[in-house]
Amino acid sequence: MTVLGVLPVLAPPPGIDILGLLPEVILAGGFIVLMMLDLVTAPAQRGWLAVVSVVAVAGAFGATVWCWFDAATPRTVYFGAFAYDRFGLFINAIILVSTALVLMITPQYLNRRGLHYGEYYALILGAATGMMLLAGAGSLMVIFLAIELLSIALYILSGFNRTEPRSQEAAMKYLLLGGFASGFLLFGMALIYGETGHTQLTLIAAAITNGGGTVDPLLMAGIALLFVGLAFKISAAPFHTWTPDVYQGAPTSVTTFMSVTTKVAAFAALIRVFSYTFGEPLIYDRWKIIVYFVAIASMVVGNVAALRQTSLKRVLGYSGIAQGGYILIGVVVLTPAATWGSLYYLASYAVANIGAFAVITVMANRGEDLDSYASLRGLAFRRPYVAAAMGLFLLSLGGFPPTAGFFAKFFVFAAAIGAHELPLALWGIGTSAVSVFYYLRVGLLMYTRPQPDEPSYNWSRTSLSGGGVLALTAAGTLVMGIFVTLVLNIAVSAQNGIVLHG
Amino acid sequence: MNVPWLTVVLLLPLAAAALLQVIPRTAVTLLKALTVTATAAAAAIVWTLVATMGGSPHSAGPLSFHYSEIHQWIPVIGATYHVGLDGISAWILALNAGVFVLGAILVSRRSTDRLKLFCGLLLLTETMTAGVLLSVDLLLFYLFWEGMLIPLYFLLANYGNENRGRATVKFIVYTVAGSLLMLVSILSLFFAHGVASGNLSFDLTQLLGGGLSKQPLVIPWVNITTFTPEQWAFLGFAAAFAIKIPLVPFHTWLPDLYESAPVAVLVFFAGLVSKLGAYSFIRFALTLFPDAVNTFKWVLAALAVVSIIYGALMALSQRDIKRIVAYSSLSHLGFIALGIFTLNVNGINGAVIQIVNHGIIIAALFIIVDIIEQRTGTRDRHELAGLERRMPWLYAFFLVATLAGLGMPGMNSFAGEFSIMLGAFQLHPAYAVLAGLGVVLACWYMLRLHQGVMHDPPQPRTEAVGDIRPAQGLVLLPLVGLMVFLGVFPGPVGDVTQLSVKQTTALAHGYASTAGPNFSGLGPVSPGGQP
Repeated sequence: MTVLGVLPVLAPPPGIDILGLLPEVILAGGFIVLMMLDLVTAPAQRGWLAVVSVVAVAGAFGATVWCWFDAATPRTVYFGAFAYDRFGLFINAIILVSTALVLMITPQYLNRRGLHYGEYYALILGAATGMMLLAGAGSLMVIFLAIELLSIALYILSGFNRTEPRSQEAAMKYLLLGGFASGFLLFGMALIYGETGHTQLTLIAAAITNGGGTVDPLLMAGIALLFVGLAFKISAAPFHTWTPDVYQGAPTSVTTFMSVTTKVAAFAALIRVFSYTFGEPLIYDRWKIIVYFVAIASMVVGNVAALRQTSLKRVLGYSGIAQGGYILIGVVVLTPAATWGSLYYLASYAVANIGAFAVITVMANRGEDLDSYASLRGLAFRRPYVAAAMGLFLLSLGGFPPTAGFFAKFFVFAAAIGAHELPLALWGIGTSAVSVFYYLRVGLLMYTRPQPDEPSYNWSRTSLSGGGVLALTAAGTLVMGIFVTLVLNIAVSAQNGIVLHG
Repeated sequence: MNVPWLTVVLLLPLAAAALLQVIPRTAVTLLKALTVTATAAAAAIVWTLVATMGGSPHSAGPLSFHYSEIHQWIPVIGATYHVGLDGISAWILALNAGVFVLGAILVSRRSTDRLKLFCGLLLLTETMTAGVLLSVDLLLFYLFWEGMLIPLYFLLANYGNENRGRATVKFIVYTVAGSLLMLVSILSLFFAHGVASGNLSFDLTQLLGGGLSKQPLVIPWVNITTFTPEQWAFLGFAAAFAIKIPLVPFHTWLPDLYESAPVAVLVFFAGLVSKLGAYSFIRFALTLFPDAVNTFKWVLAALAVVSIIYGALMALSQRDIKRIVAYSSLSHLGFIALGIFTLNVNGINGAVIQIVNHGIIIAALFIIVDIIEQRTGTRDRHELAGLERRMPWLYAFFLVATLAGLGMPGMNSFAGEFSIMLGAFQLHPAYAVLAGLGVVLACWYMLRLHQGVMHDPPQPRTEAVGDIRPAQGLVLLPLVGLMVFLGVFPGPVGDVTQLSVKQTTALAHGYASTAGPNFSGLGPVSPGGQP
């Protein structure tokens, strides 16, 4: 490399690299603007910060859509550090839509809980930027930096309710375990770098292919550690222990955000790194065993533990662990169908999970989050539309047709059976049958008439934006369950467009 | 005229359910009127379609349909929106339309708590069950089959007596477990066919050849030879359908659910939903897995006979009249299942006829039981007596339903049961003899029930009850009329079903023959069924 290589600004760019990062740049710009705006915004006017952040997200989404058409031929930008492909853009779109939905329900919730500080919006945008960078990361270094960016923002956000011990505990737990996971991740990256001499994914893949049929134990150790680091982020069992506590302790709007977007982004990195960089049969045969058992463990632990919970936030936490297990099936199975199946799953999970958490967020009243089973009883009698939407989200998470969740499960199970991994599909199906119990139990509670002597809960009125979010997610759940091709075609072309060579 | 009538039949109740949402909750009359009108309109369309469909189908092939519509749905995996109506689904669809009208009328005659929710769910259920009956594409079928549970879940969980929660969860979890096994089978079949033929399809007419391996699977390491993949796949389907019918070891959800559910749900749940298992067995399991069906028919037929006798014995030992009817239903569903597993034209034709007949009878019986409970406040057989003098009209209706229920000649279920017995005899005389025992037991419990409740001197609870109102009579009259009419003229049902049944039977045997004597009930054998 010459001096020009060190100073890329002076070198004529190969293509226009900044385009590859356009959505991220817009969002990061919004992040900085919001930090500034917060300083001059009166506390009563902070709702406008939400508007500004939604505008930034919309701008980034517009850029993503534009890039989607621009990235018909995938390439890497910034010397292989970042992948400019439809795969990353698909994940970007999920993250941005989720972020926008969360931002819409946020101001009302924060006001009710007395937490309305301007940093919130900046942090959300910062975390979303990190997630989008993670989705497109083409180098181990970018993966690490992106994970740190999103994690630090989320550590602060989960402790956002500073006066409540439970929220502090959540932040502390998340910070400690997250830091631990980052250590694993970094150590794994160091080992991989030591073995292959590269940090770029495409070069690592080439180095492994050229390695000539031998597998070094240190490389395998590096891959395993890398997987552990990412498994923390997708909260796969047995690295899931932080999940229910953090989900319960964090403010619900933050839980809504992190339960979906973190998982989506980390899965994007997982698929890009494992399915497409370490897809070499020799290595695949080894890491497959690990992922295989983590997938089964997640499905079993998530679904069985959810049976015994009495807090809806915790149930959804465990259900998220189980859902992660189902998506891992799509990682274990290397076929293209498994990848687009996983992408479809991520989209459907995002819609249903945001909807379900949004119900808790919208129902929260001034003093507390109403997420215990007892507080759900009879919801259908006082808030019939909210309860119906919640029922729909639960059915989607449980995989009932005609909702998005059915086709999500269908595609990953189909991919598993198509790749002769029938046992994996059977584990998935068995645990799905178990999951019906707890999803339906919540549904049953909402439709049970409360006894006269029971305390009546003071559910908040649904605001326009809250109702809008519920309506959008409910519609999305149904549309993705009936007019499947709308999103499926995009997912398939995202899978086709994944960048393989620098 | 190119109206996609089948899609109209599917979407009409759905559209009505959507329309219900804009009607305020307090406009009770409007809600009821809309529900009844929508179900009646759907019924009018279906009945017209069935009445004018004639004997010869419009499409050719090993399974031919009188009406069909096909559109792309998910091209990536070759799933299509393929709906079709043939001789087997026609009368069951007609029954479907009928029982939902009945359900809508019954709910509109009561002051139901949360009426709007009930009406919406009822209409959604109708869309789903009609979808099950019309689907030719396996993925579409699965969508409706599983999706049916959503409205049913909310109906059963919200309405009924205080035990409904447990009973509902039991039913749903049982059904979901069976359905998921079927999903694995569908997928295995899909991939086997995809590999064998090179094109991806969930279409029943495409998948008929199968493609699943007929080599026994060997469990590695322990070297135990198990069933072939085809047989495993068949067992997945069989599990789903046997739970839904239900056959005896899978029946435990039925009595509890029937006891707790309200009558407006029961007329279409017992009348139709539980028949969907039997229908789907004929439509999918027999045609897709002929070899496996022939291997397992002895076991399945034995389970059916066990269901017949077990259901009858349980009915004999009950005091609760609703449970008696529930167990009698189990016994009769065993008859239908036996007809299917005979794998001959007589048996299957009898099963199809009997699905329709039993749907009519069981709906009437549950309505009668409900009226008795409403009037006397009890369902205990020992506290009921002498209703004949107090309720002469109910007595008459109950008498016809009783006679029809026990398979009296001249009543509708005689034709079906006779045909099933004929088929069972062809399979093996022992099955016919044992099934005949079930008929004898049916006479016993039905006549004992009727005599005990109707004759004998009145008990304190039955002293002051009045007869049914004219409106209730008007609900029962068409049902009872059909029992007599289809008993005397069983031709209409048999004629339409015949060709489709022959095609299915031929497929189930794996060879193109319609062996076996021709019989379509008591009526004259019509040549109209021949193409």
